Amino acid sequence: MRRPTTTALVLVASAALTLSACGRAETDGAGGEPQTGTDVAEGAADGTITVWAMGAEGEKLPDLAAQFEEENPGAKVNVTAIPWDAAHDKFTTAITANSLPDAAMVGTTWMGEFAGLDALDPLPENLEVDGFFEGAQGTTEVDGTSYGIPWYVETRLLYYRTDLAEQAGFDEAPTTWEGLKEMAKAMQTEAGAEYGIGLQAGGTGSWQTVMPFAWGEGAELTDGEGYTFDTPEMLEAVEYYQSFFDEGIANKSAPAQPTTEPDFVSGDVPMFISGPWMMSAVEEVGGEGFEDKYSVAKIPEGSAGSSSFVGGSDFVVFKSSQERDTAWKFVEFLADPEVQATWYDMSTDLPSVQSAWDTDALASDEKLSVFGEQLETAKAPPSYPTWEQVVASLDTELEKVTKTGADPAEALKTVQQQADSIGTGQ
Amino acid sequence: MLGSRKQQYWLYGVLAVALVAVIAPFVWMVLGSFKTTGELRQSPPTWWPETATLDNYTQLFARLDFGGYFTNSIVVATAVTAGNLVFCSMLGYALAMLDFRGKRALFVVVMTTLMIPGVVTFVPLFVLVANAGLVDTLPGLFLPFLVSPFGVFLMRQFILGLPRDLVDAGRVDGAGELRIYWRIILPLCGPALATLGILTFLGSWNNFLWPLVVAQTEQSYTLPVALALYSTGQNSTQYGLLLAGATVVVLPVLVVFMIFQRRFIEGIATTGIK
Amino acid sequence: MTATTAPPAPPGETTAPGGGKRTRAAARAEGRAAWILALPFCLLFLVFTLWPVVQSLFMSFTDTRSRDLRTPFNVNVIGLENYTRAFADPVFRQAMANTAYFVLVGVPLTLTVALAAAVALNRGISKLRGVFRLGFYTPVITSIVAVAVVWRFLLETDYGLINTALAWVGIDGPNWLGDPNWSMPSLIMMATWRNFGTGMIIFLAGLQSVPWHLHEAAAIDGASAWQRFRHITLPMMRPTILFVSVTTGIGYLQFFEEPYVMTSGGPLNSTISMSMYTYNQFGFGNYGFAASLSYIIFVIVAVVTAIQFRLLREND
Repeated sequence: MRRPTTTALVLVASAALTLSACGRAETDGAGGEPQTGTDVAEGAADGTITVWAMGAEGEKLPDLAAQFEEENPGAKVNVTAIPWDAAHDKFTTAITANSLPDAAMVGTTWMGEFAGLDALDPLPENLEVDGFFEGAQGTTEVDGTSYGIPWYVETRLLYYRTDLAEQAGFDEAPTTWEGLKEMAKAMQTEAGAEYGIGLQAGGTGSWQTVMPFAWGEGAELTDGEGYTFDTPEMLEAVEYYQSFFDEGIANKSAPAQPTTEPDFVSGDVPMFISGPWMMSAVEEVGGEGFEDKYSVAKIPEGSAGSSSFVGGSDFVVFKSSQERDTAWKFVEFLADPEVQATWYDMSTDLPSVQSAWDTDALASDEKLSVFGEQLETAKAPPSYPTWEQVVASLDTELEKVTKTGADPAEALKTVQQQADSIGTGQ
Repeated sequence: MLGSRKQQYWLYGVLAVALVAVIAPFVWMVLGSFKTTGELRQSPPTWWPETATLDNYTQLFARLDFGGYFTNSIVVATAVTAGNLVFCSMLGYALAMLDFRGKRALFVVVMTTLMIPGVVTFVPLFVLVANAGLVDTLPGLFLPFLVSPFGVFLMRQFILGLPRDLVDAGRVDGAGELRIYWRIILPLCGPALATLGILTFLGSWNNFLWPLVVAQTEQSYTLPVALALYSTGQNSTQYGLLLAGATVVVLPVLVVFMIFQRRFIEGIATTGIK
Repeated sequence: MTATTAPPAPPGETTAPGGGKRTRAAARAEGRAAWILALPFCLLFLVFTLWPVVQSLFMSFTDTRSRDLRTPFNVNVIGLENYTRAFADPVFRQAMANTAYFVLVGVPLTLTVALAAAVALNRGISKLRGVFRLGFYTPVITSIVAVAVVWRFLLETDYGLINTALAWVGIDGPNWLGDPNWSMPSLIMMATWRNFGTGMIIFLAGLQSVPWHLHEAAAIDGASAWQRFRHITLPMMRPTILFVSVTTGIGYLQFFEEPYVMTSGGPLNSTISMSMYTYNQFGFGNYGFAASLSYIIFVIVAVVTAIQFRLLREND
């Protein structure tokens, strides 16, 4: 087209040129030494703080906060509930525009990114918060510095149909890799299952099912310097995972949106690996009495024991907070074992503080206590800001491994290369 | 009318089959909002609710301050729609019927921005709105969307299709350009304004990400943001709540569509371009 | 452009027929009026669209990551590196091929269905027009979540409605969403279904300006329905067809929601689109790279739009 377009282009280009005079400052100063926040003042909290929390937690938190306000008459907590959908986008834009609340619940995998954005206040040393599950504690630590507390946790277990297992000749859950595969095969041959076990055939989030096996073999995802995917332990786990698909025990062409619950209830796929929310989900589909037809078990042991993935949410205080002391005191309150137990009653979110599991409600529930056991050895991925991007390439390669029978060693090599070129982002 | 009786029957038959195929998901959405979560997870899915329940709706309304969110949504969508109808038709008329310096450049720039994916300007736009102190205000929700390149393009294309004689006749009668726009052109734009109105209202009504980010307290949430609050969890989705919410969001849009649909037909009758 | 008036104006002349030459003063008044009409749009547009666009364009030439957003000018300008990296990226190349496939099949299909529906509703039938119009528009306003659930049900391999229907005529239907060869056709079907309603109502608006008496006259002269459509309706609808094909083309080149809710880009990246890949990069915090991907999409869209303008040329 004619001249006017050229004029517009020139305008844009010159604007870009004038801006381009600036360059990146050398270092951000954040890296290096582990930090702790300055001490929080003694005494009761006062002042008003704003807190963000997602979904159902955001809805129920005000009731818990009322208890905090009762204990600290001068303090007021305003909770804003935000939807899980796009919550991450809301946080990053708020960080950019400096319009953050005082404290917030955040997803465990966002910690590295937010700390890298210099938005989080390091945990003050004189705060009385401890006794968390080790893996959960790890989610709050970025480069040696702890930025907040694990608020509640979840982990992944093996779900299996007890009635069908019996039919297949098993009255106990498998504890070894071979045992798991044998049982899955027997489910197909003896108990009429279409597939022995439901495993995600690669794609988004499939690493959460593969890593429990790799961790059980003693795999480490980082050596402190960078990512380590191309290791014998990882290879062991990926080969094992692939064998389920190669031998037709798991479905390699399952739809993107799995039908886990109905398949479990019908017995078509009588085993799968998932988190605590699946208990109510399968019971809703299964109807009355279904809770006696299935059970949960720890992830079968590799040579280094049983491990799993630990998820959940952390609670942080932002650097920009004007009421920092009150915000941290609120966090301290949330980490109190009794408050954690109360919170379980209100929300059914599993406590991150180990001693909170001694209360009746949790200790008496057979299935829940297995989650408690698994949490002791469950692990979290490294909290590098680039983790989500790196793991996306692992998910993509896992899809090739499970669906097209690609070589696991090659796949891990590819992931390693991509991880190296992306870097840790710290 | 076109064609014979027989042709008409055929056409009705084809359209009826198409209609059933086309509205099925909508019907399923509405029916699904009366099902329990357990039933929604069943496979294969059911059509009729086995045990119809109002639980999803009672839960939704018990948990939400519905009136406030509804008002916010109405204010924002109405402002955005009004802005687009007025400002875009003004420029559309100028681009279609008038000669002025910079006309071509203006059109090219407008068309150019129409092609830039929205996600890329999201962050700079939010920083701008935040710096202007508009975060957590209703103007912050609607100001950035009062005009759209799409609206200009639509109005320009429609006005191009109107007889040019109308403008010339107006000039001969001594009417000014603004008067021609307001008195002669705009009344003829009924169908196009109805179309733009429907599309703009719908887009603004369903907008999720922008109000989520700009609204910092629940007082300025719009309906889609509020309805998303409890339906999606960290690891699971409550389909019943989700479908009930989607149904609630869609109802006002259906009403708007039906109103504008009538304007559509009036447009045919009043313009006289039969 | 004067295609709609029965006697076309003499070429090269914008003066009123029979009104004599317009004076300079009149032309100036016209220009002034035009800018007054354009002013509100231009002000809002400048602030809320153009400025963010310029900023993001700058970003595409830098190594901006999410951690730099607080200090947007404190980054390195790396020239075209983001762009060369994008073209070297095998996943992005596949995304480009997927998007091309989607657009080349999807746009003509959507346009045809939309136009057919509009013509049928406009003059083909005499009753229940409102019902059909509303019905055909419901996919546009149905929540994407409900759409996803129902379409997954329709496309299911064993008991899905589509494969059940195919089985009646003896065809063994494919694993629509699970097979890399069939996943894209599934999404094209779904996108057509979801978007033809918008095209339809715009066509309905455009059809109002087709003079009906021409049709009647042609029918008396013995022209068939198809001939009348081809020689009267189509030429008169040109600005509207251009509009719908351009906006549908732009929308489809940026297609995102269908793979996002249905397949997450799989199986084996067979449905990942340019926009979805860009969105992922934004999510990873690679703002500079993602911005450059957006501008690659933009350039492609601009070229395609220019071609569409050329093909459906406006004689101005």
